[in-house]
Amino acid sequence: MQTAPLGLLRDLDPKRVMRAQVGGQDLVVWRASNGDVSAWDNRCPHRGMALSHGFVRGNDLACLYHGWHYGSTGACSYIPAHPDLDPPETIKTAVFSVAIADGVIWVSTKGVAQPAPVPMASQPLRCFHVQARSDGLAHACRTVAFEGGAPEQIEPGLYRLGARRVFVLENPLDEDRIQVTALVDADATPNDCAALSRWCDAVRRLAQTEKVAA
Amino acid sequence: MTQFTLYDYVLSGNCYKIRLMAGLLGVAYYTVPVDFYPGHEHRSEPMLALNPSGTLPVLVADDLVLSETQSMLGWLATTFDRSGTWYPVSDANLHAQVLQWLGFSARLTASVGAARLNAMLDWPVDVRAVRAASRKDLDELELLLTDRVFSGRTWLVGEGPTIADIACFPYAALSPDAGFEHDGYPAIRNWLYAVRSLPGFVTMPGIHPLHELREDTHDG
Ligand SMILES: N[C@H](CCC(=O)N[C@@H](CS)C(=O)NCC(=O)O)C(=O)O
Ligand code: FES
Repeated sequence: MQTAPLGLLRDLDPKRVMRAQVGGQDLVVWRASNGDVSAWDNRCPHRGMALSHGFVRGNDLACLYHGWHYGSTGACSYIPAHPDLDPPETIKTAVFSVAIADGVIWVSTKGVAQPAPVPMASQPLRCFHVQARSDGLAHACRTVAFEGGAPEQIEPGLYRLGARRVFVLENPLDEDRIQVTALVDADATPNDCAALSRWCDAVRRLAQTEKVAA
Repeated sequence: MTQFTLYDYVLSGNCYKIRLMAGLLGVAYYTVPVDFYPGHEHRSEPMLALNPSGTLPVLVADDLVLSETQSMLGWLATTFDRSGTWYPVSDANLHAQVLQWLGFSARLTASVGAARLNAMLDWPVDVRAVRAASRKDLDELELLLTDRVFSGRTWLVGEGPTIADIACFPYAALSPDAGFEHDGYPAIRNWLYAVRSLPGFVTMPGIHPLHELREDTHDG
């Protein structure tokens, strides 16, 4: 599995926690108070509770179940039931490599995260799930008109829509579900973004209809 | 002093709307628990005499008997919110947008609410229809909340929280009970967080408090 785009940094403020998936690996992705983003195996080493239900305390992630804290290395730093204990190094969750580029959170479950190049100066548009396969999604992107004009595919994932370009990044979730992270030209206005966000919805609808029809 | 009586069922997202609004406004009330499940007490003759529609919640304040959560939220805000911001009726556009979302909240009850009752209590519903409607309604909420993100805003209407947010919050928050996770809905997720951060926020089963807002460094 190469490095996967897991959504927009815009959508994950400091002290927030979300769930994500890369190649079948369930992840907790969270942001410390200092802004650092981490991606870990989504299972608490204590009793297996999903860490994505947890909460951020300073620069630690705390599990919702018994409140064990884990620091940026993934090692347990505090056990509320034994406040004086220095937790053994071995209580540690699996930590994956994260990179932030072009406002996108990239994670690799094997080796160092290497973000794919984004072929334009961009800003975040939106992140969404679509129940379709990659070819169906690309077909819908090439098909759904924007402001009366047909889209032009410039290169894989990059579409010209009127005066704007949208770059569509894919993270396959399973056989026929994709997490899409979409970027738009850096100078797009909020109104452009709202219009292109509707285009994304139309793309999703078409990709999902064609999947049902197929 | 208690200001009204709420006929209440703890697992009901609709009843929770009223408990939440009362909590946010700091209004004390008296609760009558109704055995919705398994007792179906909301459809008993005494309950039907009070509320012929046979639904929960029911709000009673002296002669006033309300059986729609939209009207209850409006009444609570108009009666107890001195700031006038929770239900901005003096601005025609804001007022209309709040009403728009109250209508949407009824759709969420009929879609996600029904899908959740089916998933949790095996309530008889047209499962395919309510699940399709749930997906459509959540997609719509995500789209419109994403518009708010583009314009730098947090709440459904205007610059602050309104009864529109409270009306739509419970079933959006409880959608995982029906199998609709929030992973693919970042705008919904962040808006839910904003509601949960409000002073006076109260919880219900399935919606936990924000531990991170407590300032002590360690949990017990
Ligand atoms: N009256 C509407 C609907 C309330 C509603 O649907 N409540 C559910 C419980 S959450 C109910 O009582 N259902 C009755 C039934 O299905 O028997 C409202 O207040 O928004
Ligand atoms: S399961 Fe996480 S602290 Fe116990």
